[in-house]
Amino acid sequence: MSVASLRPAPAPVLSALLGRLAFGLAVASAYAVVFAPIVMVVAISFFDQEIVTFPPDSLTLRWYVNAWSQRDFARGFVTSVQIALAATVIGVPVGTAAALALVRGRLPGKGVLNTLLLAPLAVPAIVAGSALYMFYLRAEDWLDMDIKATLGGLVAANVLITIPWTVRLVSASLAGLDPAAEEAAANLGARPLTVFRRITLPMLRPGIVAAALFSFVASFENLELNLLLVGPGRTTLPVAMLSYLEFRMDPTLAAVATAQIVMVSALMLVTDRFVKLSRVV
Amino acid sequence: MAAFVLPAVLVVAALLVGPMLLLARISLNRYSATDLMVEALSPQNYLAAVADPYYRGVMGTTLAVALLCTGLTLALGFPAAYRLARMESRWKSLVTVMTLIPLLVGNVVRAAGWMGLIGNDGLINAGLQATGLVSGPVRLIYTPGAVVVGTMAVVLPYMILTLASVIESIPRSLEEAAANLGAPALTVFRRVVWPLALPGTVAGCVLVFILCMNTYATAVLLGGPQFKMMAPAVYDQFSKGMNWPFGAALAFILLGATLALTVLGTALLGRRYAR
Repeated sequence: MSVASLRPAPAPVLSALLGRLAFGLAVASAYAVVFAPIVMVVAISFFDQEIVTFPPDSLTLRWYVNAWSQRDFARGFVTSVQIALAATVIGVPVGTAAALALVRGRLPGKGVLNTLLLAPLAVPAIVAGSALYMFYLRAEDWLDMDIKATLGGLVAANVLITIPWTVRLVSASLAGLDPAAEEAAANLGARPLTVFRRITLPMLRPGIVAAALFSFVASFENLELNLLLVGPGRTTLPVAMLSYLEFRMDPTLAAVATAQIVMVSALMLVTDRFVKLSRVV
Repeated sequence: MAAFVLPAVLVVAALLVGPMLLLARISLNRYSATDLMVEALSPQNYLAAVADPYYRGVMGTTLAVALLCTGLTLALGFPAAYRLARMESRWKSLVTVMTLIPLLVGNVVRAAGWMGLIGNDGLINAGLQATGLVSGPVRLIYTPGAVVVGTMAVVLPYMILTLASVIESIPRSLEEAAANLGAPALTVFRRVVWPLALPGTVAGCVLVFILCMNTYATAVLLGGPQFKMMAPAVYDQFSKGMNWPFGAALAFILLGATLALTVLGTALLGRRYAR
């Protein structure tokens, strides 16, 4: 920066004030746009009338009960939890091992491998979903078994979401680890496996917990990748909500949405206790 | 160590690379009303998509929405990111989490909120009618503007978090030095913060542009049946049209256009500011 070219102009008070105002307005509108729909959907879930009108006559909690008694939402919720849990249980160990190798190992082509493992986040989900759909139909022909709309097929697709999130978060937390503790243990005679089990893994625990929670949420909330892979008997919650919303928006749906907002918020606040999210994202 | 990375590579190869190659191969096949798909090796699906005025319009809409959203998101996101990056109190961690939560709440949930806000019986229309300014509902939902605002709500957290991490790495002393030498706030921004934050700005814009190009739920729910963007068009070909080869070609056109513009934008910005 060439200092000399900065004109030392006396800052006019009015324009400085206007500048601050514009800045504040931009910050406020950014957060207003982000939070308006979330606040709205939470509010509507308490409205008493089934047809949403403003202002509401009275407030109620009955839509939460109603939401759970709707088969599509209840089953969609259970399916989404099953898929997200299974995908997390499979994807986190696989992704953690890969992150260890990529950060600590001496591998040829690290950059390429890293790009490959993060690729599922870069390829548009609707494109990846279409590709998986075609692949599943082909595989069903070859193997003569159902894959699309099975739990196995959906879990496999969602592992594709949990692996890149895990690689990203565990790599970030590995990069921040001081190797001195591991070297000290090794110097004191600990074998590589002992060093890993007693030193590396405990130090990595926050990163792995964050990876697991992120993976679960990312898979649970995913719509586009699963869109073509669900079927009449087995639908995820976001897909069930989308089909419902194409006909109407009412407090029952708002209750389902609010439950999700509460779940995601709780999981993220827990994650933040393990790892400072401001450092890993 | 190679054995550690192998399972993950195999999963991604089997479930992403393989299927994408299959999709690319299918895009060269031919559609037949009786057999669904006939083996072929022709670029005709790509040519048909490019020649069709309807799909040219869909692509035009997609590009317009994505570019507009990226620009507006940068304009609103930069100040918010700056504010977040320069926070020093214990609120910083909370604001970060509060920015992250909407990012992880699904797009469908947010679209539902917008429907309650801007729908014909939504809060804004109820408010307008209560003041007596308008007699009937003003059409806000099922407009391109609704899709742009709805998409911004989805991508703003990505932009804010990406920019904040870069701005944080710019030493505050540089800004203070410029200000002490008499530079007004806008000059400090233009000559110090903006150039130093540029790599992050490019990264944030690329990420947001990719997400905007592939908007699905927001386009379907806030754009309405008449409004078509590329991602819903791809989905329709596979789910309703059953014309898989054409759907595959559309998917690759969407992927190619996104990639080409991303590379072009990065190169242009990179050259302009590489000094």
